[in-house]
Amino acid sequence: MTVLSVPFAGALRRPVRNRYVAGLLTWRGVSGLALVGLVALAGLLAPVLSGADPNAQGPEALAGPSGAHPLGTDDLGRDLLSRVLHGIGTDLTIILTAVPAGAVAGAALALLAGTSRAADLVVQRLFDLVLSFPGLILGLAVTAVLGPGRWPVVIVIALAEVPYFGRQLRAGVLVQREREYALAARVGGAGRARVLLRHVLPNAVDPLVVQGAVALSVGVFIEGALSFLGLGVRPPEPTLGSLISGAVAYLDTAPLLAAAPLGVTAALVLGFTLIAESLNRGVRG
Amino acid sequence: MRSFLLKRLPSGLVVLLAASFAVFLMLRLIPGDPATTLAGPDASPAAIAAIRARLGLDEPLAAQYLHWLGQVLTGDLGPSYAIGGQVSGLIGDGIAATAQLTLAALLLVVVLAVPVALLGASAGRRPWAGALRALTTGALAVPPFVTGVLLVGVFAVSLRLLPAGGYASLGDAPDLAVQYLALPALCLALPSAAILARYLQDGLERALAEDYVRTATALGVSRRRILWRHALPNALPSAVTVLGLQVGQLVAGAVVVERIFAWPGLGQLVEQGVQRRDYPVVQDLLLLVVAGYVTVQLLTDLAYSWLDPRVRAL
Repeated sequence: MTVLSVPFAGALRRPVRNRYVAGLLTWRGVSGLALVGLVALAGLLAPVLSGADPNAQGPEALAGPSGAHPLGTDDLGRDLLSRVLHGIGTDLTIILTAVPAGAVAGAALALLAGTSRAADLVVQRLFDLVLSFPGLILGLAVTAVLGPGRWPVVIVIALAEVPYFGRQLRAGVLVQREREYALAARVGGAGRARVLLRHVLPNAVDPLVVQGAVALSVGVFIEGALSFLGLGVRPPEPTLGSLISGAVAYLDTAPLLAAAPLGVTAALVLGFTLIAESLNRGVRG
Repeated sequence: MRSFLLKRLPSGLVVLLAASFAVFLMLRLIPGDPATTLAGPDASPAAIAAIRARLGLDEPLAAQYLHWLGQVLTGDLGPSYAIGGQVSGLIGDGIAATAQLTLAALLLVVVLAVPVALLGASAGRRPWAGALRALTTGALAVPPFVTGVLLVGVFAVSLRLLPAGGYASLGDAPDLAVQYLALPALCLALPSAAILARYLQDGLERALAEDYVRTATALGVSRRRILWRHALPNALPSAVTVLGLQVGQLVAGAVVVERIFAWPGLGQLVEQGVQRRDYPVVQDLLLLVVAGYVTVQLLTDLAYSWLDPRVRAL
């Protein structure tokens, strides 16, 4: 009797706290959340924090910090603080549209691959194909067709993330559907689709959460890189990438012009990376 | 070894063929006709038709695709539409510059990552182990365009030690070329070096936790010898796979780095081709990058099987 009750008692004593929450409540997770939260908050409160229109040109070009312009102005006399804050908003809306879209598309393809061997083969080659255009080369190819702009940037980020989400989920599905509970569900009379969606999928999504945090930082990187190549969001709308690329020419005369967006970008990407690491450690236990 | 290669080759070729098809179709989807662009705003319909015929754009798509594939296979890529000159000449110049940059970066990746990983793995729980982790996280988290601008700001603008941008061929003026190479190569290498250091350190730590290491320690083998002779060979194969994947990232990253440092490589050529609607240049270049990527994957698998005899037996 006592022998039988031991594993049961162990199961009862399982920590109630979610593993993701446990991962995030480490120093890595907290500092990551704080960095991203701070930057996001600044972006959200852009109209409150700075009254200036980010695209309004003024007479004082490349002016230093002053009462009217707390961070000074850029080469066209636009308020730098306002441009940085609105740039955060643009970047965040782009990556928060693109990353979920990429995740859903990747997951859908991975589930499709789980239905038959033929589908699996096609989907795998499809992932290989996208991956064989490393990073920005894919961006160049897509913007070659669609031209520069906001939506092409979203599409490039989403497309670049599809194979990463897809491969992770496919690997998880392959492992999980051989487990006893999946077999039990099949024996219990559940159809293939139900087993895949209701039983296998919820147990295979763990890696996707970590991948999501990584993808957000990659999104900031791709947006900036495309802006650098003149293929990103069209001016005058500010993005973090276009602010940095516009500041390069004035590095020696107005270093603040580069420093402000550089600091914000670094904080954002570092924050996402720390969150991804803490989630990864939490999931691994 | 040969059977291993034979097994890997077909899937690489499938990817290559699919990529050629994707690249070809993608460029045909571009709004706007290159013949109209080329002929200029005031050209007569007859002149545009003549240009279309000369470029082979009046043929059916399937015929155009096969014609292009034939050109690629024979190595005669024909003239570019807008940039001027033969495509193969343009690509050749670009490759020379980009190869210098990526090879220098690759060398830096290994030179930076291996000592950091060895140091980190031998640090155990000492305080500077955490500092090393923080360093690699930092290098990993900052995008190349951010490091690039920072490097220019510090070394070129403030300290005036190195040029902010430009290019010299290693063959003509080695001392100048090294100065021009230093900043872009470092900028390109940092994120990849951080990733490699991470993987190698994880591999080393896992190897150091194995039973054979305990046995070796019990037999009185020195820590250094265990690290170099026992842990490193076991951690190396997966690190080589990561390095192979990073080569693709280096080539892709080179596009941005070339832009920051005014480096006349493949990245600038693709960018020009895209912006000026030069079909032949863009499609040949994209295919070349994919081919390079597939080749590196193949070489990586080969290196893996050479380092890890267990894979060869499969």
